[in-house]
Amino acid sequence: MDLITGLLTTAVLAGGVLALAALGEVICQRVGVVNLGVEGLMALGAVTAVAVTISVPNPSIGFAAALLVGLCFGMVFAVATVLFRANQVLCGLALTLMGTGLAATVGRAFSGMPAKATFQPVIVPYLSEIPILGPAFFSQNVLVYLIFIIVPVAIHCLMFKTRHGLNMRAVGENPAAADAAGIPVLAMRFWYVSLGAALAAGAGAYLTLAFVPSWSDGIVAGRGWIAVALVIFARYRPLNVVMAALLFGLITALGYVGQARNWPVTPALLGMLPYLGTLGFIIVPVIVLHRMRQLSAAPAALGMPYFRDVR
Amino acid sequence: MAWRLQRFPSPKPSVAIAVRVAAIMLALIVGGVVVAVSGHNPLALGGQVITSTFGSSFGLEDLGLLATPLILTGLAVMITRRIGLWNIGAEGQFYAGALAAAAIGLFVEGPAWLMLPAMFLAGVAGGMAWITIPTLARAFVGVNELITTLLLNFVATLLVYYFATGPWRDRGAGTLGSTPRIRYEMPELWGMVHWGFAIAVALTVLVAAVLSFTRWGYEVRISGANPENALYAGIPVRRRIIAVMLLSGAVAGIAGMLEVAGTVHRLQGGISNNFGYLGIIVAVLARTSCLGVLAAAALMAFILNAGIILQTQGLTTSAIVALTGLVLMFTAIGDEFAHYRLVRTDRVTA
Repeated sequence: MDLITGLLTTAVLAGGVLALAALGEVICQRVGVVNLGVEGLMALGAVTAVAVTISVPNPSIGFAAALLVGLCFGMVFAVATVLFRANQVLCGLALTLMGTGLAATVGRAFSGMPAKATFQPVIVPYLSEIPILGPAFFSQNVLVYLIFIIVPVAIHCLMFKTRHGLNMRAVGENPAAADAAGIPVLAMRFWYVSLGAALAAGAGAYLTLAFVPSWSDGIVAGRGWIAVALVIFARYRPLNVVMAALLFGLITALGYVGQARNWPVTPALLGMLPYLGTLGFIIVPVIVLHRMRQLSAAPAALGMPYFRDVR
Repeated sequence: MAWRLQRFPSPKPSVAIAVRVAAIMLALIVGGVVVAVSGHNPLALGGQVITSTFGSSFGLEDLGLLATPLILTGLAVMITRRIGLWNIGAEGQFYAGALAAAAIGLFVEGPAWLMLPAMFLAGVAGGMAWITIPTLARAFVGVNELITTLLLNFVATLLVYYFATGPWRDRGAGTLGSTPRIRYEMPELWGMVHWGFAIAVALTVLVAAVLSFTRWGYEVRISGANPENALYAGIPVRRRIIAVMLLSGAVAGIAGMLEVAGTVHRLQGGISNNFGYLGIIVAVLARTSCLGVLAAAALMAFILNAGIILQTQGLTTSAIVALTGLVLMFTAIGDEFAHYRLVRTDRVTA
């Protein structure tokens, strides 16, 4: 029982990183833009959070600073891809290189230093006393509740229950029609791409403020890419994203717990689990559910820049 | 008489090249400004980079040594661009090729004239093996190759790290992170530059010829431009995709083999030096031209070499990663701008 509680606790912590980054990517892709810069944004967020909390020992301020940095870099990416209509794949890769390079350069000064302030667990009365599940789900830090409940529900309601959300999805499905209906396509794309980037940087901040409380180069370790893959796996739905992130958190947790308990598998192999798991989860369902290929849930205009005046 | 901007489906070659050069210069200027703000003199640093790269045969040899893997990883990514795909996994295939070549070099004994080709083939096989799953997933069930190839990079990195620090570790030397020295070495061509450089250039020319002048190359291009039409015209698109992706993996694997046999002479974690990722930039800068790959790889090698020189001045190599990202983003934006032309609209027609 102890083992399962430990596994779930780590799964929730590890999954939170992926969930927040993937939620940002869902917003971005729903308006029709692929942002492959998540990895770089997370690195920037992680280093910002550590840098800020070293001078101002308050995790909330560190987290907010990371969101702001993510927003700024997201706006740069949005200027390039939405306003200038540059190739989204290239700009995303460029953002990843810029972000990881910049974060490593800036972060060299406080490599290995513990973050001065981290988010502490908030224990929910009564619920946390539920055997097995209680400690895992209801005595986590405040970001966990935000990431697993508040943010996804808010995004879900925005996207599927409001007129604004309908417009948002229209921009991703058929920008020409949306434009004709008077929806400001470029403005919508610009702001949601930037907002999505802010969430990705927030995921990086979560990494250093709540999960591995110190900065080191390579700390993001491909989580940004897993988050992008997760969006496809979750079929572009925020509530699915959260469940999928939990599943991937569980795979990661298996690796950590295995290492801690000296399971007779090498750490390198356990470290491969999240990547191999992701690979399996994006390939296997497509083979098994043959029909899913026709019913691709991707927004129809995903990855395509919108030109109003091309005839 | 009025002027207006009009977008054309394909840019003029002269404009495209001019915009490329401008984009790279602009990125370097922005980088220089950042360096200046952080308290260094960008002009002095730049001068130092140029003199120490081109001022000595040592610098030029370094350039050749760095360009070798970059030509091959760039070629690997570029090949898949011809059929409209992105192999973001050259890094992983590089590692797989290096791992396979090192396995042969460490555990099989034989004369050098036989062992080097054997290692070469092992590199090819390793690179191909590493791209097999993304290839089949792409060709048969249409899974996006971008993410599948990328995820395998992390697996390959961990695998090489495991072997280099675990079972194949050099127990004698007391080093932790690498295997013993591999005896079979690529002979030197010029100074430190080994024959791998010649192989990389020859392979690029060969691939260029095959892609440009054979029916197969033509079919690959058509399959990339319009798969439905290609299928209708009787081109087996799926088989072309499989062949191109496996070829791409093989080329990246060769890069890994050459790094083991020619430059590093042992397997170690981090042996790829990000060459796989930098290959993406080389391929982007080269567009779909094979000869462009040679030029772009030379430029990239220069930037990398600059990074090594700057490191002695207290800057980090990560700064160079950030700079290459900047180059890539400016290029992407410039490429889009190159599509626009100022056209004169006559009052009569307007």
